[in-house]
Amino acid sequence: MSENSKNMTIHLKLWKQDGPKSKGAFVSHTVKDVSPDMSFLELIDVVNSEFIKKDKRPVEFDHDCREGICGTCSMVINGEAHGPQKATTTCQLHMRSFCDGDTITVEPFRAKTFRVVRDLVVDRSSFDRIIQKGGFVSVNTGNAQDANNIPISKPDSDRSFSAAACIGCGACVAACKNASASLFVAAKITHLSLLPQGQLEHRQRALNMVDQMDKEGFGACTNTGACSLACPKEISLDSIALMNREYLKSSVKER
Amino acid sequence: MLDAKIPNGPIKSKWEQHRFNCKRVNPANRRKYDILVVGTGLAGASAAASLAEMGYKVKSFCIQDSARRAHSIAAQGGINAAKNYPNDGDSVWNLFYDTVKGGDYRSRESNVYRLSEVSNNIIDQCVAQGVPFAREYGGMLDNRSFGGAQVSRTFYAKGQTGQQLLIGAYQALSRQIGKGNVEMFHRREMLDLVTVDGVARGITTRNLVNGEIESHSGHAVLLCTGGYGNVFYLSTNAMNSNATAAYRCTKKGAYFANPCYTQIHPTCIPVSGEYQSKLTLMSESLRNDGRIWVPKNKGDNRPPLEIPEEERDYYLERIYPSFGNLVPRDVASRQAKFRVDEGRGVGKTGIAVYLDFSDAIARLGKKAVSAKYSNLFEMYEKITGEDPYTVPMKIYPAVHYTMGGLWVDYNLQSTVPGLHVLGEANFSDHGANRLGASALMQGLADGYFVIPYTLGNYIGSSDLPEISTDHEAFKLSRKEVEESLSKLLNIKGEKLVDEYHRDLGAIMWERVGMSRNEEGLKKAITEISALREDFWKNVKISGEGTHLNAELEKAARVADFLELGELMARDALERKESCGGHFREEHQSQDNEAKRDDENFCHVAAWEYTGSKNNPSWSRHTEKLDFESVKLVTRSYK
Amino acid sequence: MSKNNYFSSSVGKKQLMGITGLALCGFLFAHVSGNFLLFVGAKEYNMYSHALISNPFLVLAELGLVLFILIHMVQAFVLTRMNKEARPVKYAIKAKGEKATSLVSTYMWQQGVIILVFIALHLWTFKYGEVIYAEYDGVQVRDLFGLVVQVFQSPIYLAGYLLALLVLGLHLSHGFQSTFKTMGFNHPKYEPKLKLMGHSFAAYVALGFMVQPVYIYLFH
Repeated sequence: MSENSKNMTIHLKLWKQDGPKSKGAFVSHTVKDVSPDMSFLELIDVVNSEFIKKDKRPVEFDHDCREGICGTCSMVINGEAHGPQKATTTCQLHMRSFCDGDTITVEPFRAKTFRVVRDLVVDRSSFDRIIQKGGFVSVNTGNAQDANNIPISKPDSDRSFSAAACIGCGACVAACKNASASLFVAAKITHLSLLPQGQLEHRQRALNMVDQMDKEGFGACTNTGACSLACPKEISLDSIALMNREYLKSSVKER
Repeated sequence: MLDAKIPNGPIKSKWEQHRFNCKRVNPANRRKYDILVVGTGLAGASAAASLAEMGYKVKSFCIQDSARRAHSIAAQGGINAAKNYPNDGDSVWNLFYDTVKGGDYRSRESNVYRLSEVSNNIIDQCVAQGVPFAREYGGMLDNRSFGGAQVSRTFYAKGQTGQQLLIGAYQALSRQIGKGNVEMFHRREMLDLVTVDGVARGITTRNLVNGEIESHSGHAVLLCTGGYGNVFYLSTNAMNSNATAAYRCTKKGAYFANPCYTQIHPTCIPVSGEYQSKLTLMSESLRNDGRIWVPKNKGDNRPPLEIPEEERDYYLERIYPSFGNLVPRDVASRQAKFRVDEGRGVGKTGIAVYLDFSDAIARLGKKAVSAKYSNLFEMYEKITGEDPYTVPMKIYPAVHYTMGGLWVDYNLQSTVPGLHVLGEANFSDHGANRLGASALMQGLADGYFVIPYTLGNYIGSSDLPEISTDHEAFKLSRKEVEESLSKLLNIKGEKLVDEYHRDLGAIMWERVGMSRNEEGLKKAITEISALREDFWKNVKISGEGTHLNAELEKAARVADFLELGELMARDALERKESCGGHFREEHQSQDNEAKRDDENFCHVAAWEYTGSKNNPSWSRHTEKLDFESVKLVTRSYK
Repeated sequence: MSKNNYFSSSVGKKQLMGITGLALCGFLFAHVSGNFLLFVGAKEYNMYSHALISNPFLVLAELGLVLFILIHMVQAFVLTRMNKEARPVKYAIKAKGEKATSLVSTYMWQQGVIILVFIALHLWTFKYGEVIYAEYDGVQVRDLFGLVVQVFQSPIYLAGYLLALLVLGLHLSHGFQSTFKTMGFNHPKYEPKLKLMGHSFAAYVALGFMVQPVYIYLFH
């Protein structure tokens, strides 16, 4: 049973910013009668309908699947990317994680590369550009041989899957004190380099993806581990080490 | 009568022969053709990538902030293929047969056979791309049986098969973007199809960030925009999944086929309150060990553990002694609704039934149950705050897939030349009911292995002069889109978009949901049209059209849902039989099973838009379904 | 394929920083271990330091150390600036609870600055400090033992010294194990062992250096 089944009053401080160049500020709003079964985004829905009814403009926020897999939602709640629960996206965070009378501060993911589009919506296209530089296997449609021609050891395949589970939400960048994208980039490098299909171009991949990551203006990795703690899919810090190793080896061998 | 352009010859060689007959475009000439691909789900991303690899100039559009977030990502279960790796006698024919039968004989045989034929290539392609499918210790791909299939033909990647397949396609697409072969447009919503002399030559989009209305001209348009389940407001679809792009094509001459075919999934997490924004599906594998029950007495609101065994009604086991809790999706869903309608629903809202694991835990031990279902149990607990090991789960059916969609011929071309429709957005392969793990298969089949050939045929056999976006047709389209948006913004009424959507959803769920009857459908038509009228007088949208404005986006989509909902009711009303996901109460056997009418309804209903701008009306066309290879039989689960 | 810019890449810079850091760790290990001769006696300590000072290769080693420190410092400076630039707008609230970043790893550059000041002070006090001589078996050597005793009579100096060493210990506790990750070494099996090793090393260096002046202060 839910720990507290009584409805709550929640004080919100929400970031509002008209556009990338505007100055933003927090607006305060109190919501009464919040059900603990409500998801965090449903709370924002309620706030927005109250805003619209009072002719105030609603807070824009990114969201889509609301089941924790699309990676669209992107809020920093009380200083924590996706809020206080581990292995959870904002859309899967429920109000039972909070207490009656709590003040909750909601900010956008903050990083130079994650330009604010409006309010809590940020631009994460840098992630796409990094993938475009090498986060793939160069195989055209129709090229493939039979799927079982190359056996892959189960442990490798499982590890590859764990890294491939990245949903590209950007919480790693949001949580990192350096706004580093290392965990995101490393997850893709790990996913592909653990598979024989991804091995053939693993050097160019590591070099090009890291190169693009730097060009985008992310910070460097200090191995604090904050990214992995914030990651809704709990991608391991090990992948960053693997990326570093691939990068070092590729720098030595590739010219 | 519509012509599906099905190639002649025996079913097994139709596709091969057709590929041979298809006109081809010289590789050097392909770069002269602009292909507009709308949507980046499995169908859209795979089509855009494949066509760009072939040399076409592709423009790809998605409403999300990244192509990787399309809703295909949420599919959990798996993807079917006729590989027969487990050596249990599967074959292309077998998969084809099951799919036609599963679709309750309302799909097009030739399309389904082609789908089964290319299913194996999909798995090969995905593995080559680095999709980390589940494997066995010997290093070979693992398969499981899914949705009651008699063979293990489902490939999977934990509970995230859709995500992994989509990322595979997204990576292929990203590679082509990096090479400059695809131009990608994020946060763009297609709001109109532009036709010149009746041929699809472009689209009008809205840049969701700054509200700009833009024109894109091309030689062909590929619509890969998914299904319309969100017409029900609450569904397992993503919040932004919508029917606008597809529905607006109907206003330019594309026919909408079988809109009444919707699939309802029995094991979803129930609604917890008024604020509920969407529903979450849990794998139906839960029914393998869970027992479904409600209290015998109406209004018994004791906690489940206090209700003694003899006062519980395990209704599926009672009604279907041989299949019990494993009856097909539609049957399980309908029975749950009957129990709730009788007033025997459970939970705070009374709109749920129990799915109880206590017997399984007693029989197998908590550990064994946890090994099978731990991730589902965790997900359930995360959302509901209840521990399914100690308290029975509460479940209720929810809409999760729509088999209907824009009508396409064998080449995936709609009734508008040049407009091709792929994936869930078209209607062709699943008939009246889709089998588990077949949606992913169809999306990728269309994108990777069908459209690359059939699009070449279209381009190679059509005269397509260059058309600039200054053409009158584009100007007119932009003007219309702008006008309709400003009309919405200027209503400045009292009622919120979500409130209208919720009302529409309530009508749809009640009257055009799991079980339908003539009276209810007629009421639905009246109610929806009244709601639509009120919407255009009284909707309240904040802000302007010149910035990111989610309310405005929603409003435009709900406006289309308010028409599509009516069309669904009309289609359901006209289809006086029960088949697959469409259950008409007047057409059931004595033991409450669906009764098909093959004599009068073995056809596709395709609706042509014949109304004026704000006064929708449609006329019904049909495509006769001929079954040459499969014999029509009746399903039974008693 | 883009040009390979190892030294200007973020990963390359971190690796350079890690490698130089690890080399400096080697120096610290030798330094703290040798210094334990303080507990043996003035003669042994002074003879040991004399042997080091009079070694012609010392200059080379010192140049190496300076070079490592410089590289470590420059990389730290460049990376810190890059990291600060990557987040121009700060969060209004810092993460608490499970998802919070550990303080040690958050304040690495600040620790670096403290350590740098400490090194300067340390060299100024000892290496370039007052020169006293002692004579053992007819060999005149610098009486560093005496200098140490003299310097650590001041409780304020001692306290500052201990504080700086605490910072050094913290810096090492993160830096040592982090370097292995930066260089690409990772294995779930050895990860806890590596962590233990990092903490033990940091403790050995910091505590080793700490007990020496405390001993001097209390017993000389």
